[in-house]
Amino acid sequence: MLLHVLNRSPATSRVYQQALTMMGEEDRLLLVEDGVQGALPQMVRHFGEVQGRLFALEEDLASRGLLGRCDASVQVVDVDGFVLLTEQAERTMSWY
Amino acid sequence: MASTTLARYLDVKGQRIGLDPEGYLVNLDTWSPDVAHALADEDGIALTDEHWEVIEVLRNFHARFAMAPAMRPLVKAVGQSLGEDKGRSIHLMRLFPGSPAKVAARLAGLPKPTNCL
Amino acid sequence: MTSHFSSDLLVILRHGPHGSSLLRDGLDAALVAAAFGQRVSLLFMGEGVMALVDDQQPDPLGQKGTSATIEMLSMYDIEAILVEQTALELFGLTPDELMLPVRLLTGATLSTLPTSHRLVLTF
Repeated sequence: MLLHVLNRSPATSRVYQQALTMMGEEDRLLLVEDGVQGALPQMVRHFGEVQGRLFALEEDLASRGLLGRCDASVQVVDVDGFVLLTEQAERTMSWY
Repeated sequence: MASTTLARYLDVKGQRIGLDPEGYLVNLDTWSPDVAHALADEDGIALTDEHWEVIEVLRNFHARFAMAPAMRPLVKAVGQSLGEDKGRSIHLMRLFPGSPAKVAARLAGLPKPTNCL
Repeated sequence: MTSHFSSDLLVILRHGPHGSSLLRDGLDAALVAAAFGQRVSLLFMGEGVMALVDDQQPDPLGQKGTSATIEMLSMYDIEAILVEQTALELFGLTPDELMLPVRLLTGATLSTLPTSHRLVLTF
């Protein structure tokens, strides 16, 4: 299982599609920085194929006022959770 | 890329040829066979036909790929041009002792190979 | 399919020539690894496929591009030149418009690449 980390908003960048293309069936996707915009209910449809394996970083959501606005299907993790995800993964790939 | 930092001059038949801190040509266009001889003198190498054919392979490589080769591609290029007997590191080590990719590139008027550390 | 492309290093190139240094940086990383005897695969994704278009020229300031380096890859024994087929189609390009022969890959095969290589670098 690999952890993919995306820091670009699906509203402005197609990089999220590259991440999805390269994701294996067990791989997880963590949204950070502007990537957390993808956790909004209207945006989360872009990540339909990885439902249940989609995470967003709490600190980046909070700083953008999006913490209470996340779609229910997104698992919110803090920095410690980020570290845990990294440890559970064989390797991490960044999509920027 | 060639360094553009001028460190010293090499006197070649009355012409001043600019060299960078590592002894490579500052301006690659200033290369001539006489310059190669002068650079080889500094390294204690007397250029023979076997050296010249490798220098020619290097200059063709650079003309085609705009880069100086590291050791592996140099061996491959020499093998393709001059035959498998000469496409061996031991042959190149004998001609250009030390680090053949770096030494031969300098004599051939190429920039320092960027991909060999 | 997986083992067919397995190798030491996968370098993913996602940027076109001339616009930034990312493409050149990625190619340099691949060349250094190959110079040290590592088996390297290159994957051109998204905008990265523009790096393979034939008939590239120096830019208006005379800066050389990356096309000579790409033509040099075989001298470094980098033979696995992989291309995201969808990206090629996105630009309306066909394989015969590219400067060297490539292997076109789609969805399922692409997603096996990260695990079939010991190391992945993304540029």
